[in-house]
Amino acid sequence: MKNYLELIPVSAKIHRRQTRMTRWCIVISVFLISVIFGMADMFLQSQKNLAIMIDGAWHVAFRELDAEQMAFLSARPEVKTVTRYAAANYKLNMDYEVGGVQTVLCGFDETFFEIYPAAGLLEGSFPKGTEEALVSEGMRNRLGLGIGDEVEMTTPGGSLSFRISGFVEDTSMMLKTDAFGLFVNTDTYLSCFREATLREDFVCYVEFLPHCRIQKAIRDICGQLHIPEDKVSENARLMGTLMQSSDHYILMLYLIAFLLAVLVAVSGMMMILGSMNSNVAQRTEFFGMMRCLGATGKQVRRYVRMEAAFWCLKAIPPGLFASVLTVWGLCRMLKVITPTWFGEMPGFGVSMPGVFFGAVIGFLTVFFASRTPTRKAAEVSPLTAVSGNADTVFAAKRAANTGRMHVETALGLHHAAGSRKNLILLTSSFAFSIILFLGFGIGVDFMKHAIKTLRPYTPDVAMISHDNACSIPDSLYAELKGMEQKGNVGIRRVYGRSFAYDLPVHMQGESKTAMLVSYEAYQFGWAESSLTQGDMESAENGEGILLVEKQGFVSEPGSEIELETDRGIQRVRVSGVLRDAPFDGGEDVGTIICSEDLFRELTGETGYTILDIQLRDRSDETVEKLRSMAGDAYSFSDSRASNRETRAVYFSFALFVYGFLAVVALIAVFHIINSVGMSVSARMRQYGAMRAIGISIRQLQSMIAAETFAYLAGGMAEGLLVGLPLHYYLYRQAVTQRWGDAWSLPVAECLIIAAVMTAAAAAAMLGPVHRIRRMSVVETIGM
Amino acid sequence: MEIMEVQDLCKTYGKGEAKVEALKYVSFTLQKGEFAAVVGESGSGKSTLLNCIGALDEPDGGKILVDGQDLLAMGEEERTIFRRRNIGFIFQSFHLIPELNVEQNIIFPLLLDYKKPDLRQVDGILEVLGLQERRGHLPGQLSGGQQQRVAIGRALITRPKLILADEPTGNLDRKNSREVIELLTKASRQYQQTILMITHNPNLITSVDRVMQVADGVLSDLGGNANEKLS
Repeated sequence: MKNYLELIPVSAKIHRRQTRMTRWCIVISVFLISVIFGMADMFLQSQKNLAIMIDGAWHVAFRELDAEQMAFLSARPEVKTVTRYAAANYKLNMDYEVGGVQTVLCGFDETFFEIYPAAGLLEGSFPKGTEEALVSEGMRNRLGLGIGDEVEMTTPGGSLSFRISGFVEDTSMMLKTDAFGLFVNTDTYLSCFREATLREDFVCYVEFLPHCRIQKAIRDICGQLHIPEDKVSENARLMGTLMQSSDHYILMLYLIAFLLAVLVAVSGMMMILGSMNSNVAQRTEFFGMMRCLGATGKQVRRYVRMEAAFWCLKAIPPGLFASVLTVWGLCRMLKVITPTWFGEMPGFGVSMPGVFFGAVIGFLTVFFASRTPTRKAAEVSPLTAVSGNADTVFAAKRAANTGRMHVETALGLHHAAGSRKNLILLTSSFAFSIILFLGFGIGVDFMKHAIKTLRPYTPDVAMISHDNACSIPDSLYAELKGMEQKGNVGIRRVYGRSFAYDLPVHMQGESKTAMLVSYEAYQFGWAESSLTQGDMESAENGEGILLVEKQGFVSEPGSEIELETDRGIQRVRVSGVLRDAPFDGGEDVGTIICSEDLFRELTGETGYTILDIQLRDRSDETVEKLRSMAGDAYSFSDSRASNRETRAVYFSFALFVYGFLAVVALIAVFHIINSVGMSVSARMRQYGAMRAIGISIRQLQSMIAAETFAYLAGGMAEGLLVGLPLHYYLYRQAVTQRWGDAWSLPVAECLIIAAVMTAAAAAAMLGPVHRIRRMSVVETIGM
Repeated sequence: MEIMEVQDLCKTYGKGEAKVEALKYVSFTLQKGEFAAVVGESGSGKSTLLNCIGALDEPDGGKILVDGQDLLAMGEEERTIFRRRNIGFIFQSFHLIPELNVEQNIIFPLLLDYKKPDLRQVDGILEVLGLQERRGHLPGQLSGGQQQRVAIGRALITRPKLILADEPTGNLDRKNSREVIELLTKASRQYQQTILMITHNPNLITSVDRVMQVADGVLSDLGGNANEKLS
């Protein structure tokens, strides 16, 4: 040994247990910090991929630009791609048809495919000639078309003919509305459809180069080309994920994310700080001995600092490595479950922000955390070491109150509350778990509001009557139902609805208009959760109706309503009231739901307006079979693509939101286990002496339980005191401001984190109690 | 009246070449009110003997009877409670509870038994120890000698059958050492307390009734006031 600092690895070996605890603490803190930043990074990457797939890779769109402005825009150095785009008949109300099917018209430049990767060119090439067009996959399949074939389009001004140059994938909108798409180059579009296109539907999409300051570029462009603000729109979702949004709301979300990041960093720092404090405090005697042997305070400080560096070297890399593995796991999960949307995610990518923040915060915290123990260690008097009174480092300032409770409980509580500094440090670390959980819990509220989810009643495909009449025969429903029961053609569920619109109704002495809808067993089952009054069963049995609550349509179960149908005025009894329904008849129009039998009795109609189908097998073959059953008599709506989009968006969001919450819960568990473990370790010698005097293990267990309870109760109170206002603030910024929903006490979140903390506290006692059980009194107190 | 009987006590540490026989078939008895000292070189096995008698360490063989009860035949919980009620400990490093004041430290064994302390008894002990003025003080506010006096009070409060003192003056100066020994002697005489004290300080054994010596794990009884034998 050439230098006293070489004692560090030797000491680490001898104090293996203490060193291991501190090292684990740093490993886990670094892991949690790194994994949370890594997850945030991957979350942004996944949302960016999703945004590009759904909304395109463009950053900004300018409407109604002239050729000169376009040329200027294309020439700007920060612009990567510029593409022109125009569309007509996207509302399917302009009588542009191919083969009798409403057709959406689009014109764009070839670069459009770079900006919209989801608009995949399946076959063929971009239509360069004036008579060429790309057509949608649905048109190809249903009309049996091939490349080079002529396709004739009927327009309000006559018919137009195009030669097919290729095929593109159906968009979710086309599938859902059962429409075709026809795509030509911009010049052809302008010559054929300029008149049919609204001015605001001529758009120029711009994609900027990476790392460009987009907001500044937009300001410059608008200033130089005199483009008014209302002609500019941003790709909000993509810009949000690139942290380049100018939207006030998105900026607020950045602020919330920053706040949460700071909380995570502070939480990690507190874990390391607590651990190092405890580690040094337990070795007071050793530092005193060093002072006794002639080490200066400066040398002891240097020793502790170097020890911190030693821990950094040993603990930070494993923490980072574990976080990288976790992030890989999450990315793989995204890729495997939804390859269409997240295939582009890096399978084994390393999140640089995650590694950076984990390493830097871990390193700085260890050094920052070593400052206080360093000072403490340097202040230890040589006398402390030789007198054997090292324990008095923990000496209390006042005596425990043993008069009102058992001595072990009083001592346990006093261990927790005796030192105000210790109490604040530990309860704060417990409180942080609640604060973090409530803070990150906002993600769930935000997700519930911002992300559309699939409802149990969402169909994959639907057959819809052309004229909204009950024209789908009962026999078709019966045929599909038979297939469902036999499990044929991959059908999971078939459920139909009949609609009778604009029925005059008389209720509570007033005349109103309502829509009568029939439900069958599945739909009654799904409506159960919306029932606020009355009972579902009598409505299902045809003994009454369900009224959907709405302004002007409020009624008590048992009251009667008069309905005027083709069969005359009929009285029906209200069996129940629903909070909401999946459809709405419009302003001032009520919704009345009844059984199929009652609907027939009231209206005389036996057919259906809509047949919804949920599929077990969502393949194209299954859908084609069903489409052929529907024929041309009904519209066929294919919602599979839009459902997939919804699922992908929700899944990717939920994975990270719940992932964050899981990591936060882990932080809570680790915090608690570590704090209790450290606290017990620090008093082991005292416990040994108490054992010698005659305290039983059961009594020591109660003492530790009382101490843990004090931290838990104090931490929960402190956590709720700070966490609830924080939750209120974040909720107002993230939810109320956008959707208007009022804040309510997050009871579920509070209960969940309280349960996690209590379970963690109970688990935290197991280790120390086990150690106490196995403790050798002689060795512990050094007799 | 015989208060303690030790029969053929053996204790070995380590294995193979590192094997150390700390106690080799140690046997002796102590009578009620007897103040005995065990002397020996450092590492001779005297602390091991005390730890085994106090049921803090498990011997490999032998028997320890305190007031006729076999300590080693008891279960963990039973042995702890027996120790709390029947054996008082005085350590070299005092081992007071820093969060309890002088009075609370003294009555600590009673509190562990959920018994209400007799205030007259506590006052009596505080008076004997000369700590009436310090009863509300915390250990951190006391001198070493005062802390050891508190530890003696704690050992006396349950009127145990046996007090085991492990180098009780090891951390004290000469004046405090003398006071502690006087207190122990007083306790032995006044309360008929049986005390077994370990020490390597020959000056302390002048006050004891009987001296035993441990050398290489073997105990030899040096008889009554052994001043002349030791010298």
